[in-house]
Amino acid sequence: MTPFDYQRIPEAAAVPAQLTPTVRPLAGGTDLLTRLKACLDRPDALVDLKASDLGRAIDRVDGGWRLGALVTLSRIQHHPGLRADVPALAEAVSQAATPQLRNRATIAGNLLQRPRCWYFRNERVQCWLAGGEGCPARSGRNEHHAVFDTDGPCVATHPSDPAAALVALGATVTVLDGGGGERELAVADLLVPPTDERRVEHVLAADDVITAVTVPSAPRSTYLKAMDRAVWAFALVGVAAAVSADGEVRLVASGVANTPWRLAGAEAALAGPGLTPEAIDRAAAAATDGAAPLAENGYKLPLLRTLTHRALTAVA
Amino acid sequence: MDESDLPTWPPGTDLETVGTGVPRREAPAKVTGGAVYSSDLRLPGQLYAAIARSPHPHARVRSIDTERARRQPGVVSVIAGEEGGEGVTWYEESVPLFGPVARFAGDEVAAVAATSLEAARDAVRALNVDYEVLAHVVGIDEAQRPEAPSIHGTPGNRTTDPKVEERGDVAAALAAAPIRIEHTYRTPTAVHNALETHGAVAWWQPDRLTIWASTQGVTQVAQMTAEALGLDQSQVRVITEHVGGGFGAKQVPWKDVAIAALLSRRTGRPVQCAYDRHGENVAAGKRGATRQRVRIGADTDGRLLAIDAELVGDSGAYQTAGEAAALWGPYQGLYRCDNVRTSVTYVYTNTGPAVAFRAPGYVEAAFALESAMDELAHRLGVDPIELRRRNHTGVDQQQAKPWSSPDSLPLIYDRISALAGWDARPRNAPPAPGGDGGVRRGWGFAASDWLAGKANPPGYASVELRTDGSAEVVTTVQDIGTGTRTVLAQVAAEELQLPVEEVRVTLGDTAAGPPSPTSSGSATTPTMAPAVRAAAADARHQLVAAAARQLDCAPGDVTLDHGKLVAANSGSRTVAEVLEGLSPAAVHGWGELVAVDDSVSVRTFGAAVAEVSVDTGTGEVRVTRMVSVPDCGRVLNPTLVASQIIGGVTQGIGFALTESQLVDAELGLPVNDSLEEYLVPTVLDICPIEAVPLDRPDTGANQLGVKGIGEPPMIPVAPAIANAVFDAIGIRFHELPLTRRRVLDALAEAASPDESEPA
Amino acid sequence: MLTLTVNGQPHPVAVEPRRILLDVLRRDLGLTGTKEVCEMGNCGACTVLLDDEAVYSCLVLAVECEAQEIETVEGLARGQELTAVQEAFVACDALQCGFCTPGQILSMEGALRRRPDADEAALTEAVTGNLCRCGAYRNIVAAAGRVAATSSGGAG
Repeated sequence: MTPFDYQRIPEAAAVPAQLTPTVRPLAGGTDLLTRLKACLDRPDALVDLKASDLGRAIDRVDGGWRLGALVTLSRIQHHPGLRADVPALAEAVSQAATPQLRNRATIAGNLLQRPRCWYFRNERVQCWLAGGEGCPARSGRNEHHAVFDTDGPCVATHPSDPAAALVALGATVTVLDGGGGERELAVADLLVPPTDERRVEHVLAADDVITAVTVPSAPRSTYLKAMDRAVWAFALVGVAAAVSADGEVRLVASGVANTPWRLAGAEAALAGPGLTPEAIDRAAAAATDGAAPLAENGYKLPLLRTLTHRALTAVA
Repeated sequence: MDESDLPTWPPGTDLETVGTGVPRREAPAKVTGGAVYSSDLRLPGQLYAAIARSPHPHARVRSIDTERARRQPGVVSVIAGEEGGEGVTWYEESVPLFGPVARFAGDEVAAVAATSLEAARDAVRALNVDYEVLAHVVGIDEAQRPEAPSIHGTPGNRTTDPKVEERGDVAAALAAAPIRIEHTYRTPTAVHNALETHGAVAWWQPDRLTIWASTQGVTQVAQMTAEALGLDQSQVRVITEHVGGGFGAKQVPWKDVAIAALLSRRTGRPVQCAYDRHGENVAAGKRGATRQRVRIGADTDGRLLAIDAELVGDSGAYQTAGEAAALWGPYQGLYRCDNVRTSVTYVYTNTGPAVAFRAPGYVEAAFALESAMDELAHRLGVDPIELRRRNHTGVDQQQAKPWSSPDSLPLIYDRISALAGWDARPRNAPPAPGGDGGVRRGWGFAASDWLAGKANPPGYASVELRTDGSAEVVTTVQDIGTGTRTVLAQVAAEELQLPVEEVRVTLGDTAAGPPSPTSSGSATTPTMAPAVRAAAADARHQLVAAAARQLDCAPGDVTLDHGKLVAANSGSRTVAEVLEGLSPAAVHGWGELVAVDDSVSVRTFGAAVAEVSVDTGTGEVRVTRMVSVPDCGRVLNPTLVASQIIGGVTQGIGFALTESQLVDAELGLPVNDSLEEYLVPTVLDICPIEAVPLDRPDTGANQLGVKGIGEPPMIPVAPAIANAVFDAIGIRFHELPLTRRRVLDALAEAASPDESEPA
Repeated sequence: MLTLTVNGQPHPVAVEPRRILLDVLRRDLGLTGTKEVCEMGNCGACTVLLDDEAVYSCLVLAVECEAQEIETVEGLARGQELTAVQEAFVACDALQCGFCTPGQILSMEGALRRRPDADEAALTEAVTGNLCRCGAYRNIVAAAGRVAATSSGGAG
């Protein structure tokens, strides 16, 4: 970990203008500190958002909920209203990380965490995503890697469970920029595959700060996760299913692509109202349409079909 | 007094302290943060060391430029390259401490001492090492190929010639056997990952070196360090109060000790050198992967006619001292069989060195042998436990002498069968191939033996009686978290008829007395408990003799009765009175165990039953219940024995289901070199465990009848689970661990019968 | 200069911003009961309470903790009197090498701060982020049960 300065700015609205590519925001720190320790990030300064008046409230709003950016995963997990009204989010949060990490990690930070790819995180490897060349995972140990969209420069999967749930729920984030402008962005549009010019998994600029996450209600929603141990592992595959207020069913998988992956084929296969057993069978079978697994992760396909089937059955 | 001069405690003896669940002595210190480990030491002026490790799996170190590192703030000393190692050599290959050739990614090339750990780490990053990268090889199959790069210039990258042991005529017996089973089994590289990493604080003062080490063997660290650094053994003192886990990896000294010592000599200050978690995963030992080609032949009743096992293990880049991975063991000894051949080869690879890990070799071999036995039982339609009974032997067939406890295994079979409800277990209908057939359940069984668990002489102890009525046991042996302090106190208390609270135990310091065994081979209790009992008995005899003099009667007329010495006809005195009468002389008992009975073969047997559920839709294997019945002879403390059993079963579940160090072959790097990706079990991965030791004194082992318990309970766990998975889904796995990937791939293969079967 | 409040006592410390809370507790304050194992939030041995919530002190900067209450394993017992959680760990032999023990205990203490009547399942869930390599888990679950029995008994 290289040395850096530590700053507190009381007014959240004043934070974005201070941010640069080397002056970075610090919230829960549960991902950022691991990157600093691995020297993946070497900021000159950190601005502690917790020392500001950035949102910490969980508010009922028209048609859903508004979560301040600093709301911790623990508070979501233990919030009766969210558990009842957006179970997919509460379930995703509950299956993410551990109690200690959830006590610290914020919902906005969770969306912006970097991949856990074991090459990306390895100090001894300079992969494309870390600013170097090539993707050792493509020909190496890739049992945890992507099965969709695998012809891009990086096959790391997005590490967040809540992200998949939020995309399925149609959630949005409120973003404040360095010029004082505010914009609303769907989580689905916030998270995008990295490109040569922008080797991160989101579209935010250096001086953007997420101030809130808005989540539409979907009492019929769920998030299922498969890990190699009972708890405390990143998803091999996760599936979020949500029935929106207007009856639309959205299916989003984690652990299968650079970003939360919309299971468009499965959604299309549902074709029509009513989650009948036949429709669920069809959708589950179509969940892996377009998949292009790597040498070691073909097992994710049956896993994805099973979780899709079970998630749909749960919300039917 | 020698422990063999004491009478045994026959079964049924009325013991007061031994056999009770006396609470672990150091528990209050451990729950309040008061227990001090090597890593907690903060001596005045202490420096912190960081190690530079090769990022390449195989490379020649051309040069190391230390200038920039030396100029970093806080840096006090940098040692690098062969010169920096000052002639100290390491491993069985006697390579320089910082070699001119790095043979695995993580091999040590330099070290820095600084006033803080950050400063030391910064300086390591500032080192400029020029490497000439050499071709590397990982994986035992690849390393054996003729075109593989040579790691130490040995044929086929073998560490030595294969170790072959054969009795009878295996080829002929196999050919004639009506039933044959043949498979190649594989077990993964597993990492101990003790929570306290390897580490030591060394303080070199003019005429002596003191080392606070996180080790399983204070004596061995002292001896090997003295030898490596050219000191007299009397100049090296090693202290180990508490150890944050070892599991075999700390049974030999690692380079942390030497690096700390060399840096301390250079700086004149105490130096702490502890591996970080990365170092712990790549350079501090592992259970090497194995490939086991097993052929067994049996008659139609299931009696074994022949066993042929071609066994290959991964040694990593170097050989370490300590227990070997005895892969041949179960094949040679667990069952009666006249024709057995085992061939064991260890292969060098460009990965971290292997070292003993809880029942080394037996855990790996038991998976293969006990999977094959289960398959044989199913093939013949014989109950798996009945099949083991038919193949029972009461003798050590390698040494042609009886087991010290020849009827242990049949009794274990009876006990575990009853406890588990084996005969009433639900029988599955044959499953449909493939998933998603929902969740299916299964039961599995495996038996085990273990070559150790007997005394590893010599064991020495003293017991001193105080006029306040208390006793102090002193021995150099360490307590690595198994409860050694507690059971030694119990044994002394029993012999002296004292409340156990009145017995103090001082241990873990080579300055306190003669050498003690390393805590390996489950030997600590069977070596030290008899020695302590002898010391306590010696103290008791001295006390009785003194009382007899004071009471003016023959020693034979005096008995010790709970703090009182009672003479048949001439009254009584309290222990304190007798000791005061002796003053200034004191009662100082001496006990030893210096030899073991060679006429019998001491083994520790056991068995496990696993119940599992397998989700055929997600590949998830959950162990839902484990029953473990090991034989550790007399149980000195049922609470601590149960803890050892559940610990071994827990590690066995990890080995069966999740643990595997994965190495990128092209880069030669372990990819899951952290506790994030190397998955050890969590609390929710572990099911209820019924831990029920046989509790039969084995007086062939020693006069106490006590054997070790640390390692054996792990041995049968993985095969019991794999056999239960077969029972659940009808798929026989020949490779561990049973991750979702492995299970789902197998289910997919089972569902498409066109494809060829796995080897 | 930064003031950390640890176990109710203010401790002025001079540390650079990159210093990790765990390291400051262990090195600067000599509170070595909190253990360093993985440094990456992967094991739980460094768990402390920060304003009554269990967190991994290896993933917290010391400078973040100004004005917060930090509690470590050294601050739990009152003299010889152990807390219910500590007592249960001793009684159930819920430890072997003891290296994970302070973290396990603080995780359960944190769950009890959130819910004083936490049941066995909740207290077990509280330690899902604490690895025990010796494999004392079943006894840790037993300790959770013992604490739950005491605390619900106490709550009437």
